[in-house]
Amino acid sequence: MISDELARLVREGYNALGELEFTVSSSGYRLYHCADRDSLSEAQVYHSAEDARQIARYDASGAYRALKGAPNLPRRWILELANINDLKRALDYFYPGAIATWLAYREGKVQPVCLRQTLNRQTGMYRVTRKLTDDQAQILVKETCCSNGRCLRTILWGIELEHPPDFLPSSKSDPAIDQTGQRRAALPFLCLEACNLLVAAARTTVKKSSR
Amino acid sequence: MVEKRKSALVLIGHGSTLNPDSSAPTFQHADEISRRELFAEVYCGFWKEEPSLREILRMVESDDIYVVPNFISEGYFTETIIPRELELTGPVTRRSGKTIKYCEPVGNDPRMIDLLLHRAREAAPNVPPDKASLLIVGHGTNLNQKSAEAAQHQVAVIRKKRLYAEVSEAYMEEAPFIADWRKNTSQSHVVVVPFFIADGLHSYQDIPVLLGIESAPTAAASQQEVFRRNPYFLYGKELYYASAIGTEPLMADVILDTVERYDRKHLYDAAA
Repeated sequence: MISDELARLVREGYNALGELEFTVSSSGYRLYHCADRDSLSEAQVYHSAEDARQIARYDASGAYRALKGAPNLPRRWILELANINDLKRALDYFYPGAIATWLAYREGKVQPVCLRQTLNRQTGMYRVTRKLTDDQAQILVKETCCSNGRCLRTILWGIELEHPPDFLPSSKSDPAIDQTGQRRAALPFLCLEACNLLVAAARTTVKKSSR
Repeated sequence: MVEKRKSALVLIGHGSTLNPDSSAPTFQHADEISRRELFAEVYCGFWKEEPSLREILRMVESDDIYVVPNFISEGYFTETIIPRELELTGPVTRRSGKTIKYCEPVGNDPRMIDLLLHRAREAAPNVPPDKASLLIVGHGTNLNQKSAEAAQHQVAVIRKKRLYAEVSEAYMEEAPFIADWRKNTSQSHVVVVPFFIADGLHSYQDIPVLLGIESAPTAAASQQEVFRRNPYFLYGKELYYASAIGTEPLMADVILDTVERYDRKHLYDAAA
């Protein structure tokens, strides 16, 4: 069970994922934004894992957060959760599938999919993305996915099959490194395949360059 | 009553990178089904949001998984995108000890007719149907003919009921076009119901502009406002505009019926 493994990881000392931190509390588990670590008394308290979905929906300015890995989670809230299942559900609302993906990757059940494979299987309005050149792809990924301001996931896929993402800073493709730069005992937050936002950005790049 | 305590239910929605209302009905129906504790797990996955179609099945721990597209019709998404992204081989896919059961889109459910009629009555409660044109508005796309066929089916069934003086269809991306609604409706009262699964940019902005009840797409956040200004007086007609039918709370039951229908149709395939 994913929940059991999460409980074990928490007991081992893992207490962070992306911008989140969590601890065992007297009533179960406490989850909060890492930047609020020293000011939790000022935070609004919630008790349902489902509240996480609402918290994760908009950033502090009220803008819709389409990319859940973006380092712009709003602050000043605490989730007091009754048990490990609630913690897992809440983490899945903030960072969908992050725990399951890490566990599946660690057990060798899933492999990264290179960008070329992702683009080559697109159809309809995204079919054109297969025209993205390697140079365009490298620039695009560096801009669209960088941990400083865009996405906190660790990228494990390269542009071409069996090529590592060596065009990125080595830290961006190392699961052991906390992408927030805080050197916490963070659970890896992996990106095994380009997301739809990147595919859409690739379409924009190709369309612009063909004008 | 569907009861699948050892199975997972995965609802697949389109989602949006621009508009949180797009995924809201899918989450709403998943929450309702979770509350009823009929399945071991209930998840939502999306084409344009997270969890993505590529990661959703990793999150599921049950070995028996029902995948229900929360889509209004068969078409490009149900026939191309979802099977490709989930790596499905047909109605039954067996992989790594799991059985993935790919159901029909919710829009195929016979109850969609009742939902459409309910929405039409809600939008125009004081308009006698026998003096009104009912216009069912679909997306329509040249990528797949089935999108329009689903709306045509609803129109044909509702026509047979002889409730409305006239029942017609119109589309965003193929003929008959929504923008031609005036010449394609004969009655002075026109009730427009979007045959869409969620309220989003299409129902808030695109369709109102095509109907002529909004002048240009705006970024107005108070999107529901467009449904509250009925009736609209245009070209000597009274036009009533309803919100998308997929937001109906009854959709949770439609989803459960879709699972039951799958079982009836594929009992032998899934057990083989």
